[in-house]
Amino acid sequence: MVSELTFAADGFRVVYAALAALLWCMTLLFSKQYFARKRHLVRYFVFYFATFGAVLGVFFAADLLTLFLFFEIMSFTSYVWVAQEETDAALKASKTYLAVAVIGGLSMLMGLFMLDHAFGTLTISELRSSAEDFLAGEGGNFGNRKNYLYIAASMLTIGFGAKAGVFPLHIWLPKAHPAAPAPASALLSGMLTKCGVFGMLLVNCHLLFADGTWGNVILVLGTITMVLGAVSAVFSVDLKRTLACSSVSQIGFITLGIGMVSVMGGHGIALQGTVYHMVNHSVLKLVLFMAAGVIYVNTHSLDLNKIRGYGRKHTFLATAFALGGLGLAGIPGCNGYISKTLLHESLVEHMHHLEQQGMHSEIGMYKTIEVLFLLAGGLTLAYMLKLFIAIFVEKGEEQSSAGKRSMTLLSGIAVLGSAVLIPLLGLTPNHIFAKIGNVAEEFFCPPEVLSGEAHAIHWLSFENLKGALISVIIGVVVYVFVVRGVLMKHENGKRIYVNRIPAWVDLEDSVFKPVLMNGLVFVLAFFCRICDTLVDGVAALLRATVFAPRKRKMSIWVGTKLTHMFGTAMDGIVSVLNRSLFRNHPIEKSFVSVFAVSELEARQTFSLIIGSVSFGLLLAAMGLAISLIYLLF
Amino acid sequence: MGKEILLLLQILFPVAAGCLLFVLNRKGNRKIMITYTVAVLVAETLLVCSNAVMQETVVECFYITPAHPMLFCNDGLSGLFSVLVSVVWLLVGIYSVQYLKETRKPIMFYGFYLISLGVLQGLSLAGNLVTFYLFYEWMTLMTVPLVFYNRTKEAGRAARKYLFYSVAGASLSLAGMFLLAGNTEGLLFTGSALNSDANRTTVLLAALLLVLGFGTKAGMFPMHGWLPTAHPVAPAPASAVLSGIITKAGVLGIVRSLYYVIGMDYLKGTYVQIVFLTLSLITVFMGSMLAYKEKILKKRLAYSTVSQVSYVLFGLALFTPAGFAAALLHVVFHSVIKNGLFLFAGTVIHQTGEERVEGLKGMGKDMPVTFWCFTFASLALVGIPPLSGFVSKWYLAKGALEASVGAFSYIGPAVLLVSALLTAGYLLSITADGFFPGKNFTVATPEPREAQVSMLIPCVIFAVTTVGLGVFASPLYTFVTNLAAGLLR
Repeated sequence: MVSELTFAADGFRVVYAALAALLWCMTLLFSKQYFARKRHLVRYFVFYFATFGAVLGVFFAADLLTLFLFFEIMSFTSYVWVAQEETDAALKASKTYLAVAVIGGLSMLMGLFMLDHAFGTLTISELRSSAEDFLAGEGGNFGNRKNYLYIAASMLTIGFGAKAGVFPLHIWLPKAHPAAPAPASALLSGMLTKCGVFGMLLVNCHLLFADGTWGNVILVLGTITMVLGAVSAVFSVDLKRTLACSSVSQIGFITLGIGMVSVMGGHGIALQGTVYHMVNHSVLKLVLFMAAGVIYVNTHSLDLNKIRGYGRKHTFLATAFALGGLGLAGIPGCNGYISKTLLHESLVEHMHHLEQQGMHSEIGMYKTIEVLFLLAGGLTLAYMLKLFIAIFVEKGEEQSSAGKRSMTLLSGIAVLGSAVLIPLLGLTPNHIFAKIGNVAEEFFCPPEVLSGEAHAIHWLSFENLKGALISVIIGVVVYVFVVRGVLMKHENGKRIYVNRIPAWVDLEDSVFKPVLMNGLVFVLAFFCRICDTLVDGVAALLRATVFAPRKRKMSIWVGTKLTHMFGTAMDGIVSVLNRSLFRNHPIEKSFVSVFAVSELEARQTFSLIIGSVSFGLLLAAMGLAISLIYLLF
Repeated sequence: MGKEILLLLQILFPVAAGCLLFVLNRKGNRKIMITYTVAVLVAETLLVCSNAVMQETVVECFYITPAHPMLFCNDGLSGLFSVLVSVVWLLVGIYSVQYLKETRKPIMFYGFYLISLGVLQGLSLAGNLVTFYLFYEWMTLMTVPLVFYNRTKEAGRAARKYLFYSVAGASLSLAGMFLLAGNTEGLLFTGSALNSDANRTTVLLAALLLVLGFGTKAGMFPMHGWLPTAHPVAPAPASAVLSGIITKAGVLGIVRSLYYVIGMDYLKGTYVQIVFLTLSLITVFMGSMLAYKEKILKKRLAYSTVSQVSYVLFGLALFTPAGFAAALLHVVFHSVIKNGLFLFAGTVIHQTGEERVEGLKGMGKDMPVTFWCFTFASLALVGIPPLSGFVSKWYLAKGALEASVGAFSYIGPAVLLVSALLTAGYLLSITADGFFPGKNFTVATPEPREAQVSMLIPCVIFAVTTVGLGVFASPLYTFVTNLAAGLLR
């Protein structure tokens, strides 16, 4: 490699590596049931463990190049997960996944080139000081140094954001998660996206520390992702697809938090909210995707209309799923409440801060974001309610596996064991989370650069419960009116779930593919083709014109050139006539020979005439006549 | 005295062995011929390796003109090239045993294969530009029969095109040499052999002609047309060495003339540099784009070569030590990778007769080893760390950013990355379809179609080397940076 690989194991990295280990451990326990009677297991497990190693490499990397190395390895090894089932959907999803991974990777590489050129080092702990030195420096071929840094940071963020699933590169998530086996989906959603988020945090906190402009861009991207994911999750009628869209939405929440960290100039609350939500989302999606896996193993379907009512008698599964849903929706007592409250609090506090400074013009934007934040929180509850009621409450078709146990002992341990973490984290915010928050602050925003300490939050104060309450009200309203009203229809006397989003609303199929793949590639390939045939074309042109091989001289076998020419011309005309006018009585003689013969005859006659006495007399007479005329006039 | 003879033997031994093959083995006893060829290749490789570590020796043979002797010298660069050539030649030679088993008249391959090895050794060891040119022309002539091996009408046409392009390119560079000859001391490879009163206009024109001329062999736009024509019709071992080694002879020509005769500082910031940079970047993009659009496997690989060799040329066009070192790294890496890829194409054609990319669907299940080798080579060519292609790309981009070439500093790396994206598009899709054909895909022949061991081993060695060179890149990198530093003296 181009430099030595360096690793570090300080607080936050260890936390996340431990969480990764937990996720891998739980999914491994669950795999026994999920993969019973499935093929290509060796392949799956080889890449399962390879990806684990790569993920640990990403978190433990002490410099960006090492991080990039493991990031790329992770992208390629996890590709096999997505393609594992080998169905058409899986293959299509895997292609999208690979394309996004490669594009992201190369973009990140460009960012690394630029940083390495500017800083001369890629060590993460030195990034912040290097960036400061760089901005203070002069000269070099950097152009505007601030813009240079922005471009480099954008390149890195495209790469990390593509893996995290931030708009507009979130397209792989809703495709890859449903297609992959459930344990793999849990890891993709729970851990691989977090590698991207980790990278984005590095860019925001180490490279462009407390940069308001940058923070606002990330904030807006996060908001779009958050709302978009939540809306598409409400509309989806496929269990894992809903969860995948929900992942997009939750990543949006996290990205919003990352943006807030920068906007607030490195404030403890925003950072804690972000990091807590990362951890929460990892745990929640682990539980939910494994629960989805259990349902799939027993029913062989993910369609809400088919799995409807499956879970009515499966209490453990219902409990785990309910906990996951409550956590995701941010209901007090569950872990999601803590992180969402902090994220909300950071928005509120920032607005408060702006108000104090009298910058009223900027408050509007944050006000809008706050409304969208609460709306997305409400939508989260709505789609989780939709899933829960469909699977565990409503009556559906009688399942063939009714009465059978849904989970084996191992999967039970995995699912319930992970689900226990949800209330555990939610009820002890000042113990577990506080520790995580401390190490995260130390890593991302050490005290010397922190603009504001995270003050103690009264988790049960009305101020904080209000946000959750608003979200719950929105969620219930949306569920009752939109989900039960608009998104269901009567068919054969039953109400079924329908997807009201037409198929063409797909960013990849309707925008990226036509514009990039067909349009751009076609135009560029056209020009390349011209370049390609340039010399060959010139050669062909020359051969056809200047260096044309001379036509071989035809030896004329009868007659002279003139007769041959006329004869050929006449033959041509005749052959045309034969084919058209004289089809019934074609002329069969060759005019070449006819002319040749008549020419010969004419020549012979002429020589006879010239040689005769009478010709001489004729000439003499003509001469006399001409001289007579001359004399007369 | 012994050292000089060893050096000359490095060139003469394969040539003589090849000629001997033609003379002695008229009946074409296959077994003897193969044993003989492989033995010669092994002996030559050992000889080359021992010569490469020998101390620098100069051999003057005879005078072509009073000022220009036939001169051989084993400096670091020639050591690098000659070792690369002989190792690749040995591996591809072993591969060709099985590949050419069912063809007629293999003597036409093996004979010229050995002779061209000798000629390439001469090319690597040449100590001045005149000697270099002599071997350069002979290289073209001796490799034409390899292209023409299948004796189809198409092969004839392709061989003619190859010959025309090569001769046209060589003539351009010869014109450059004529212009240069008056301004230098014997066209020697000293690092800057220009006279103090050299005419700048003439030298720059000469440099441009040399770039265009040698660029033809290296497949640089606009004279890249021979590659996509010659590769598909030549037998796979021939395409492998054409693409992996012969194109690098053009690179060596540019290195020798611009870096070792004129000197890189002389050309920095001139119009020659701008033309060179532009052409190389156009080629990088064009090659990848056309490869992406191409449906015939070997043609796709040929376009890929067009693109990748221009990575090297881009590095050279920077005229900095860093660019030079990166370019040499990519010479080695691309050579190894592309040989691996062409051997893959050969294996597929040999085992299944499939020449088009669509036909490769699902083959990964039948020939896993071959496809894994392909996968690693592809990943390396795309430039995924820690494989070798990444290392050279990293240094190329670094070199470009550090060089003072204006906007090219940023356009260059960007083009390289876009090209890498296209490379992923045209190579990784083959892997993906090969291993994951889809549920509905039924395998036409259920029995495994993995190639024989003698074909697999070279493929595996190339694949392992791509990984190994990437992970343990520092010795090679140190070597090429030392070469670059030596040039600055």
